[in-house]
Amino acid sequence: MDFTSLLGDKEVVVTGGSRGIGRSIVLMLAAQGASVTFFYRSHESAAGDTVNLAKGLSGVVKAKKVDIRDAGCCEQAVDQIAETAGRIDILINSAGIVRDNILGLMTEEDIEDVLATNVVGVFNMLRPVIPYMISKREGRIINISSVAGEKGGRGQTNYAASKGAVNALTKSLAVELAPRNILVNAVAPGVIETEMSESVRQRAEEVVKSRILLGRFGQPEDVARVVLFFASSLSDYVTGQVLHVDGGFKMT
Amino acid sequence: MTQFEPTSEEISAVFPYLAEAMAEALGCDVSDITLTVSLIDDLDAESIDFLDIIFRLEKAFNVKLPRGKIIEDSRGALLESEFENEGVVTSAGLVQLKSYLSEVPADRFKTPLYVADIPRLFTPETFLKLVIKAQREQLETTR
Repeated sequence: MDFTSLLGDKEVVVTGGSRGIGRSIVLMLAAQGASVTFFYRSHESAAGDTVNLAKGLSGVVKAKKVDIRDAGCCEQAVDQIAETAGRIDILINSAGIVRDNILGLMTEEDIEDVLATNVVGVFNMLRPVIPYMISKREGRIINISSVAGEKGGRGQTNYAASKGAVNALTKSLAVELAPRNILVNAVAPGVIETEMSESVRQRAEEVVKSRILLGRFGQPEDVARVVLFFASSLSDYVTGQVLHVDGGFKMT
Repeated sequence: MTQFEPTSEEISAVFPYLAEAMAEALGCDVSDITLTVSLIDDLDAESIDFLDIIFRLEKAFNVKLPRGKIIEDSRGALLESEFENEGVVTSAGLVQLKSYLSEVPADRFKTPLYVADIPRLFTPETFLKLVIKAQREQLETTR
């Protein structure tokens, strides 16, 4: 097996690719030869930075402004990519938001926004992509979940609910699509050093770190490497799994 | 789609492409696809195959087809409560269904007919009518 070009000629779509874990996934997959289109909602200059960082990698990286809360936009963007490339081999649902607060102080918008992006957004991407995979009789779907989906955390009822939903969806979809050789897995990061987790890390850095068995926060690349595993033929016999990439955080 | 009848010209224009798309989706020979064969009982189609078939037809004919709405459409003007009772198609529902699925041979409508078994009645012609109906609608809107 060639470990330098695990994804040569694969057509990949990544949501939430302009920053953080999503960006790292885009770059890691492009470094393995994949042709990657990533979606971003609002951070135009960060999206441009991701494209620039990918220059010189063996795969091509393109950015597309798509709001995944809008099913019609998702369908249009997916069809455009599939019609140009002739297929979509791998979908990575990485876009996600947090609106942390204790439940009593959470607004309706905090609940709706998180569910709209983290859950409905995933459905909005899956529905147009899956038919392309079914007709090719192969495909990989990787949902970025969170340790919060299984391990409770103060101020994260909305986020935890959304990620628990993603885990359940992952398992059901794996059952549905296995007969068509489409593998569906989730990667559940712990506390990763990104802008999104900044407030959590600042609020209680030492307390949180003390509960991570490996004694450090994760890096986006720690997550991206596991996504690469699920995206490539290294995981040909794995489906319906939620793999925690959390330095042992869930165990404590 | 009550009493919707395609012309023989429309059928002969669409059928060869439809047969090819269905054979690819179901992994069978094109010659297995006849207008009246039962997709589930004779060709082992599953619900995921119907999605595959509809998707291929949409691409082949550049039309939008209803997904997962065939049964809902087949009720026509009847309310759900008039069409079925505890999962069984009522006699009024059966009249409506036979009219909607006018291409299906009458002896395939067993009674009692469960709503869950309606897809067993679907034939290539059922989908052919959906395509032709969508083509006609598309023509109307572009006029």
